[in-house]
Order: sequence, then C-alpha cells, then structure tokens
Amino acid sequence: MAYKTIVEDNIDILVAGAGLGGTGAAFEARYWGQDKKIVIAEKANIDRSGAVAQGLYAINCYMGTRFGENNPEDHVRYARIDLMGMVREDLLFDMARHVDSTVHQFEEWGLPIMRDPKSGAYQREGRWQIMIHGESYKPIVAEAAKKSADKVFNRICVTHLLMDDAKENRVAGAVGFNVRTGNYHVFKAKTVIVGAGGASNIFRPRSVGEGAGRVWYAPWSSGSAYGLMIQAGVKMTQMENRIVLARFKDGYGPVGAYFLHLKTYTQNAYGEEYESKWFPELQKMVGKEYLDPEVSRVVEFGLDYADGRFSLSPRIYYNLVDDYIQGTPLGAMHSQPKGSDSGEAAAPWVV
Amino acid sequence: MPTFVYMTRCDGCGHCVDICPSDIMHIDPTLRRAYNIEPNMCWECYSCVKACPMDAIDVRGYADFAPLGHSVRVKRDEEKGVIAWRIKSRNGETDLNLLAPITTKPWGTAIPQLKDEAAPTQEARDSQLLFNEPKYIRMDEGDIHTLESNGLKMKAGVYY
Amino acid sequence: MFTVNPFAELSGVIPPIAMQIYVILMAILVAVGTILDTLHKKSAQYFFENSEKQKKMASREVSGGEKVGIAVKTVAVDVLTSAEFCNQKRRVAHLLTMYGFILFVVSTAVMIFGYADSANAAAWPFLWHLGALMVCVGGYWFWFVIRVDVAAEGNPWYRVVRADLFILALLATTTFALLWSVFGAIFFFVLFIAAATVLFGTVFWSKFAHMFFKPAAAFQKRVTKADGSMENLPEIPDLSDPAVHKRYPDIPEYLGKNPPNMGLGIKRETPNHY
Repeated sequence: MAYKTIVEDNIDILVAGAGLGGTGAAFEARYWGQDKKIVIAEKANIDRSGAVAQGLYAINCYMGTRFGENNPEDHVRYARIDLMGMVREDLLFDMARHVDSTVHQFEEWGLPIMRDPKSGAYQREGRWQIMIHGESYKPIVAEAAKKSADKVFNRICVTHLLMDDAKENRVAGAVGFNVRTGNYHVFKAKTVIVGAGGASNIFRPRSVGEGAGRVWYAPWSSGSAYGLMIQAGVKMTQMENRIVLARFKDGYGPVGAYFLHLKTYTQNAYGEEYESKWFPELQKMVGKEYLDPEVSRVVEFGLDYADGRFSLSPRIYYNLVDDYIQGTPLGAMHSQPKGSDSGEAAAPWVV
Repeated sequence: MPTFVYMTRCDGCGHCVDICPSDIMHIDPTLRRAYNIEPNMCWECYSCVKACPMDAIDVRGYADFAPLGHSVRVKRDEEKGVIAWRIKSRNGETDLNLLAPITTKPWGTAIPQLKDEAAPTQEARDSQLLFNEPKYIRMDEGDIHTLESNGLKMKAGVYY
Repeated sequence: MFTVNPFAELSGVIPPIAMQIYVILMAILVAVGTILDTLHKKSAQYFFENSEKQKKMASREVSGGEKVGIAVKTVAVDVLTSAEFCNQKRRVAHLLTMYGFILFVVSTAVMIFGYADSANAAAWPFLWHLGALMVCVGGYWFWFVIRVDVAAEGNPWYRVVRADLFILALLATTTFALLWSVFGAIFFFVLFIAAATVLFGTVFWSKFAHMFFKPAAAFQKRVTKADGSMENLPEIPDLSDPAVHKRYPDIPEYLGKNPPNMGLGIKRETPNHY
C-alpha cells in the first residue's frame, strides 16, 4: 500500500505540537503576524491534546500582581529555592511577568476561575496556586488556536525539523507522518515554533503490576520538543533538571490540592519531615536572601479552623474531590476517606 | 487503569477514536465497535468517556489490586456547560454526585479573531509586550514588570 | 422493467418449489446462525446478568405494564426510526439500508410464494427493486464514506476486514439482484444467489445478528432510565433549580441562575480529524 507525500508550502509560522503551549503560541502569532499563514501540526487531536488534555483544577503559577499578592521576583526566589540555585533567573522573571495576562485572558475566554468570596481575588490554595474549574481548560484554549490558525493538521507527528539549504543554521520547516494513514507530511515554513511538550518515562517509574509504566505526567509526552530541537542543533538550557515526584501510591495522581488543602507534609522512610531538616543546607546553596525560614509565611487558604481541628467546607470538599478526579479518577476509586472529619488519613506514597 | 467499551452500547460513531490523546481507542476489525488497543498506555484522562454520546465507555482500576465493583462515571454536557461525576464505592457506602461548571461563556464566542484587531504598532513590536499587555497584566494602567521598575539588579554568573 | 416479477421468467428454468425451499432454508440459516452466535457470545447470559445487576441498583420498581410500554417505545423509536444515531447522516444511511432490506426480503418472499410464475405481481416487483436500490444507496454510502474505520480511523475504503462481511454480502446480493433484473443474464442470477447464501449463511461470523441484539440493548437501556439505576451514570439536574444552587454554589456563581445554552464545542465537528 503506497503512502502519499503531502507538502504544505508557503507557511509563515508552523507550530509543531499544539498542547497548551503550542495553542497559545498560535493565538499570539496571529496578533503579531496579522495576515501571515499560520499552520498547526499536532500528533493527537487539538481539542484534547497535551498534558492538560483531561483538564486541571488549578493553575500552579499565578503571580496575582493585580491583587497585590506576588511579584515576578518572588517567583524567581521560589524557583531558585526549589531547584537549589540552578536556575536561569532571567528566563524565570520573564515568564513570571507575563503569566498573569495569560490567565486573565483565559478567564475572559470562558475558563471558570474560582474567586475567594471574602476578598474577591482568585481563590488561592497556596502562595502560587489558584483554583479553577478547568475540566475544559484545553478545549477552551484550543478554540483560540483553531480561530487563529489557517490550517490545523491533527494526527500528524512531527519527527524532524528541516534545515534551510541556502542559509546556515536556519530552520526551514518540518516533516512528520500521519499516525492514522501513514502519509508523509512536509511543511515548508519560514519559522517553526516547537510546542511539543515535555518528556515522561525517561527514567523508569516505580509503578508496578498492571500500572507498570504509569506516571503522573502524560504518557504521550515523549520528549519531542527536546528531540526535535537537539537534532537541529539548538542550544538547550536547564536540561539538568529532573522532576522526581512523590505521588499517591497506585493512583499516581496529582497531590498539589491535597497537600495545600489538607496541610499535609511528606515523610521519608525514617519518619522524618525531611523538608525543613534540609533548610540550613539549602540556605547555603541559594543564599540567605532567598531562603529565610524565619520569615516564611504560613498560608491558610480554603480551610476552616475551629476546636483545634481543621475541617473542609462542603464547597472545598467537593472541589477537592473534583480536582482529585480530574487528575486521576483511579484515586477516587481507591481512596476511601475514613470519614471526612477523622483527620487521620495517611496516604501512602510512591516516588 | 484503562478504559473499556460496553459493546452493547457502542454504535461505532468514532468520537472516542477521534479524541484520544494517546491514539489508543480504535475500531475492532471483527465487530466494528470501539475498543482500547493498549491499556498500558491509557492515562485514564476520560476524554473518550466524555466524548461518547452513548455513554458506552467506562474505566476500571488496575487488575492487580482493584477488584471490580467500584464505579466512577461522568457526563459532560457542552450545551449546559457542566460536568457531572458519580463515584460509587465497591461496598456501596459511597454514592457521591458532583457537578461543576466547565465554561462561563458559549464555546469559542468570547475569543477575538486577532486578524480583526488593530494591528500592533511598531512601538509595540519593539517592546517586550504580548497581546493585550500591559493592560491585562494587572488589569489597570500599570506597565510591564522590568528589573528597573521592581528595583532589582541582575548579577551575572553563578554564585553561592 | 421495474414492475415485472423477475422470478416469473426464472420459474421456467427453476421450479417454484425449489425457490420456496431456498427461501425457507435461508430463514432457517438465519435462525440457526443467530442462536449459535448468542450461545457463543453468551449474549443471553450477559443480558440476563446485566438486568439482575440493574435491579440491585434500581431506585424504583418498574411494573410489567410499564415494561410493555417501554418495549413499545423501543420498537417505535429506537428500531423504526434508528434513533440511536446522533449523527443524522449515519441515521439516514441506516434507515435506507434497514427499510430497503426489509422491503427486499419481504417482497422476495411474497413474489416467490404468491406470484411464483406470473410476471404481474401487483406492486411487489416495484417494491423489490425499490428495496434493492435503497440498500445500494445506503450501503454504498456507508461503505465508501460513513464506515467509522474509514471516517474516523483513516483506513482506506478498500480495506476489508471481517466486520465488513455483512455489508459486503448485503451489497453484493442487492447489486447482483438489480443487475440480474435489468440485464436478465443468468450469470448475475448465480452471483445474486451466491451472495445471498453467503449473507444468510455467515450470520454466525458477521454483524448480521446486530438487528436482534441492538433492540434488546436499547430496551435494557430504557429500563435503566425508568428504574433509576442509570447504569451508575450521574444525572445532570435542572440547573435553574434552587436546590441545585444550594448544593453546588459554583453553578449559579459561574453560570448564573438561569444558565444559557453554551452551544457545542468539541461536538460541533464530525469525528474525522486526521
């Protein structure tokens, strides 16, 4: 059976990979590019692709400058602590100062972002995280990309970037194949934006049994962004970072909302609350002006405190379960709370 | 924790095949109905479950430790703008219903067609602003954050 | 041509009694094939166990009389109007093929049993040709365009798998039947009979029996709605109900007290994005 070669020419901007990043890039490109030809190539279906395919219940990095909450430099400090000093502070600052306008735009497009009934600001779960009803986070942003792009090619997996024959060190397009029909697609473009996502399963995860290979991050994040660009000779940065995440045993689900709402902490095999144990060492690594435990704020969001105990309001409880479900329904299947006010639930972890 | 299809409910419409981000929902060559071809690569994102107009797809826990009998089912209604979940535990004690909004505006309507927006000025192109900035950063008349505006100094190189 | 009974001319070569025995034989083959299929797939056991499970989850009892009403509704809506299909093109194609097949089979039987050697058979020859034509229109449309492995999965139309046994045998039967009637050549008649024998003889291996299983499934689905078990699915309540607003305060907060119709998003387009 013969495979066809399909050439798409005269593209001004090719967006390879249309997850949340690529779709946003296509939208932004339309504003600055005005009438330029923008083409998207996505290996799945743009409406539900990328790591946010199923939805999210929080936005994990929102400054809140408009509510007087954080400034971009606060985020830089936080990231520096997290990554023990090995960060590109300039890139972090730049990303952090733009993220708020993106979030405000999402809200305008129809993403329901929860508000704190008392202050009117976005409902925070923690210093950086805000709560959203994000089941359709990706479909909403995909609408923006579909409106902005001239053509959307779904089920096309871009495999290589093409280099320009005439000009040195210049990318001139990309090639890929249709994962359904097997046809070979060639895109000739003046610019390529690679939004092809992160990489899971570079290292073998700890999941076992029928869940072997299961990870918290999207299994279809196959490192294309790195692969495409390394092959084209791009200078990579911060590649020494690895995320090794503690997740719920057997559920492999997201823990952010759980941690923040229920004020949990992680314990190592010796029963130590190990995070604060390492603060002095960390302070030496990143500098005292970045990490000063004495002045760290204790944030109390979303929880009511009475009679010496924390309890969840029904609204937060429902939203917490909703978040749990969006992240992994398996968690909802296994975890039976021992009664919502027992406060004694200890979730086993796998790292 | 893969998805599976109730063959008596599936009518072979292809919505799940079309939406699966992992490309693992396909059509059985003997029955012409949908099925999950690779449970190991299923992320249980529920995209297929939500997409199925016949509610023919369900999800089960991992076979090595989750006995059957639990149920986590969902209905996503685009026109009503909500998503409804129902969680039932195996011992029958829990039967939790959840309902959440998924959009505040009709789909695709509140997004501008940027070709029709006023073209960016040369000054805007030379600046460090994105579309809708600086207004949308703080939703006020403030300008974009820079090192100068925030009273910061960049120290070159790695230190500490 | 379309009003002449094609079997009348044939009765000179093949005695009517042979034709009648053939028809009865095909009917027996269908019955046997369906029963064997049911036993092999354990469909009856599955439906029975399903309905037992359903009864346990039921929140109210469905009386016998109600069940009869549901059965009638199933036939009237799900069966006669192919209401299961939400895509209108699929629905139309199925209605054409379904009614075409019924017309074709019934008029074949009537002409062979009632008008075996008379060229004039009232309206039946016309219905026979109409039925065959309807099957061809709906069937070829389905084959080239609508089939989900072609439309959603990207397979070429000429890819043949076992699931295609039924539709191909059906199309071959009606196409050769029409060709035989139009051109009169015995060659087409032989192919027509061969295709028909394959169609009715391979019920055990093909999708033929869906016409019996699907109504049973549709009936069971309606009963789950009537008895409240809902197959463990959540029910979306009335979003303007104050009780709903109280239990889920985020609904009125983000959608308003009387949520508008948000239109279609992902479902706007047909599932053929590849």
